[in-house]
Amino acid sequence: MKSKLILALLLAAGANSAFADRIDDIKKDGVLRVAAFDSNPPFGFLDAQTRQINGLDVDVARHIASKLGVKLELVPTNPANRIPLLVSGKADLIAANFTVTPDRAKQVDFSLPYFASGQQFIARKGSLQKPDQLAGLRVGADKGTTQEITLRDKYPATKVVSYDDTPLAFAALRNGNVNAITQDGSKLAALLANAPDKDKFEIAPFTLTREYQAIGLPKGEARLQKLVNDVLLSLEKNGEAQKIYDRWFGPSTKAPLPRDFKIGDKV
Amino acid sequence: MHSEVITANLDYLLLGSWPQGQLGGMALTLLMGLAAAALASVLGIAAGVGLVMGRPAWRRLLGVACGTLRAIPVVMLIFWCYFLLPVLFGVDVPGTLTVIAALALIGGAFLAQTVQAGIDAAPAGQWQAGLALGFTRWQVLRWLILPPALRMMLPSFVNQWVSLLKDTSLAYVVGVAELTFVAAQVNNREQVYPLEVFAFIALCYLLLCSLLAWAGRRLGRSPQQA
Repeated sequence: MKSKLILALLLAAGANSAFADRIDDIKKDGVLRVAAFDSNPPFGFLDAQTRQINGLDVDVARHIASKLGVKLELVPTNPANRIPLLVSGKADLIAANFTVTPDRAKQVDFSLPYFASGQQFIARKGSLQKPDQLAGLRVGADKGTTQEITLRDKYPATKVVSYDDTPLAFAALRNGNVNAITQDGSKLAALLANAPDKDKFEIAPFTLTREYQAIGLPKGEARLQKLVNDVLLSLEKNGEAQKIYDRWFGPSTKAPLPRDFKIGDKV
Repeated sequence: MHSEVITANLDYLLLGSWPQGQLGGMALTLLMGLAAAALASVLGIAAGVGLVMGRPAWRRLLGVACGTLRAIPVVMLIFWCYFLLPVLFGVDVPGTLTVIAALALIGGAFLAQTVQAGIDAAPAGQWQAGLALGFTRWQVLRWLILPPALRMMLPSFVNQWVSLLKDTSLAYVVGVAELTFVAAQVNNREQVYPLEVFAFIALCYLLLCSLLAWAGRRLGRSPQQA
């Protein structure tokens, strides 16, 4: 609610005119500021050893920064404040498991998608088998995510409880505050793999939507958008995209997930 | 209890990613709290004196400004300054400074009322005595009224300082890596030790606030007692 109000104000103030051709500013400053999650493994999280933010999104951002020839600066973000960070000019890009939607496209531009997933649920074993059962359940979602919006729009009989991020929602599920939580299947798999009491829970065997994640850019930055797209396509071409994917979702990871989307695929 | 989660992350919780990266954690909380408390005290004394000594028009203006600031939730003021100022005026204020400024403004608005009430509480006879001795109004305020009044106000000041120190945890909305924020990061990675992590954080705040209250009490001792 709060962030929506701010966004409306930001947009009303004509946020975009002040920062034309960001790519020159980035090169002049020698720093690319990227909004990345700090609490959502494996996309962006605080690495236990290095005490720096690391993850799949960060790997992608690193390649964009090195293509620009500048230093990468990560701005910790959460689902609710990533668009305000970009629109107010506090970050140059969003690389935070950012799903492409028509609504968001009114406020920001998107690169080509570099990841695909679908909306799924974690619930106690056997308690949630098909979408009809969502009616009447209390379901935890991350504030400001597409999953929260989909639930509220399409499943009015479901009681949606919003949390700051996924681990918090999962804690609520463990404590019995909600009956299920929802997020991208990929993120849920990683979350469940790390949980000590994972035997009690499972990922419900259905997927509500197909969603694509991309880099978020400020509106009207055509040169920056082209550069980001070129980097993404070249990552796929030289096999680096597969390497990044395998590092976080490959067979040797805690939550292996087959790769069913390549950068440049038709969406 | 699993204390390993605390010991393994102790340096991060206390100092953030410093010295490789920016200072954070408990150290940043303390610095932000002290800076906000100092600024709020200066603002509060200035505004409180203004509310007593200023011309009627100024007093009304100050009253409205303080009333407005007191009515805005701190978290909203931080959010607005951080995300709106760059767009409206093209000024890019770093998160840490935004938080300090927002806390100082609101803390100052609260303290202004304390200061005004403290000065008003001085008996009229003191003013008359001072004026009769040939002091100006400002001299009476500076030499006769304020020294004992400020000492009387000190407990209210300490209250406000402690409250400001705890309010630094609201910096999480703009991604400033203070104590609560880094604790949430650690907690979200480890996932299974919320009790340990947040109990430790509570202890840290207790320690910081107790230190501040102790320092405040020492400040209030009269020279003979010290």
